[in-house]
Amino acid sequence: MSKKTQKVSRRILVADDDPVIRHLITSLVEKEQYDAVVVNDGKEAYRLLQKDANFCAAIFDKIMPHLQGLDLIRFMSTDERLSRIPVLMITSERDLQLIAESFAAGVTLFLPKPFTAEQFKFTLRLLLSNRPAFSETA
Amino acid sequence: MAMSSEIDDLQRLITVAPETTDLDTGCESVDMAVLTSFEESQLDGEPDLVLELIDLYLTETVRLLVAMREALTNKDELSIKRAAHSLRGSSSSLGILQMAFICDELERTEFKDMFAIASELLKCMEQEFARVSQILLAERQRRGE
Repeated sequence: MSKKTQKVSRRILVADDDPVIRHLITSLVEKEQYDAVVVNDGKEAYRLLQKDANFCAAIFDKIMPHLQGLDLIRFMSTDERLSRIPVLMITSERDLQLIAESFAAGVTLFLPKPFTAEQFKFTLRLLLSNRPAFSETA
Repeated sequence: MAMSSEIDDLQRLITVAPETTDLDTGCESVDMAVLTSFEESQLDGEPDLVLELIDLYLTETVRLLVAMREALTNKDELSIKRAAHSLRGSSSSLGILQMAFICDELERTEFKDMFAIASELLKCMEQEFARVSQILLAERQRRGE
């Protein structure tokens, strides 16, 4: 049996239905020299994650049409390939109960809107410090 | 890039820009320091990020305002609030403060006469967007389109 090749994944899944925020996050992720894999809503993210788990992190908007960020995280927590991926939830919610529920469901970090480029960069680095060192190639 | 019907909507809104919005919160319409702070995330060789954000915001806001107006006609409270929530997120993120404030008011409206209040707030939002558009388009022009 050949030894399975491993490499550090530089891909970050970004799911947000708002084109403004989506573009902003994509630019910020790429500025940090990661590859942003961008989808427009939770359903697209769900479909992609079913066949592709090679991400070093995921960034979800909390409220999206079809499938919300929290639903995605619950799905990811049931799949061993996906549960290792740290998730950053971006939200303009200020309800502490909702935030607590999100952490319970498996969110790694929260970033409230609005955020600055500096806050995003710091949060992303913190998020990625939690990831496994290596991920299998897809 | 905005579609022609959206540009028409935008031009219609801008031409009716009032000096002030009916719901004046005292905060400035656009905190340009927030918007231009994203210049530091500009990637080499890529189009101007701030300019792209301005274009996306203008196009998306027209779409959301039209959607809210339709939802109001249909008395669809959920769609109004979803659109307001989305607009609050993008507005606050780009430093478009008063618009974010009005969206927040609309999201929080829970009264029986919600649709009457929503109608007033939507009117305020359209007035405010006219002001915001002028400021953003001026910034767009300053950046050399």
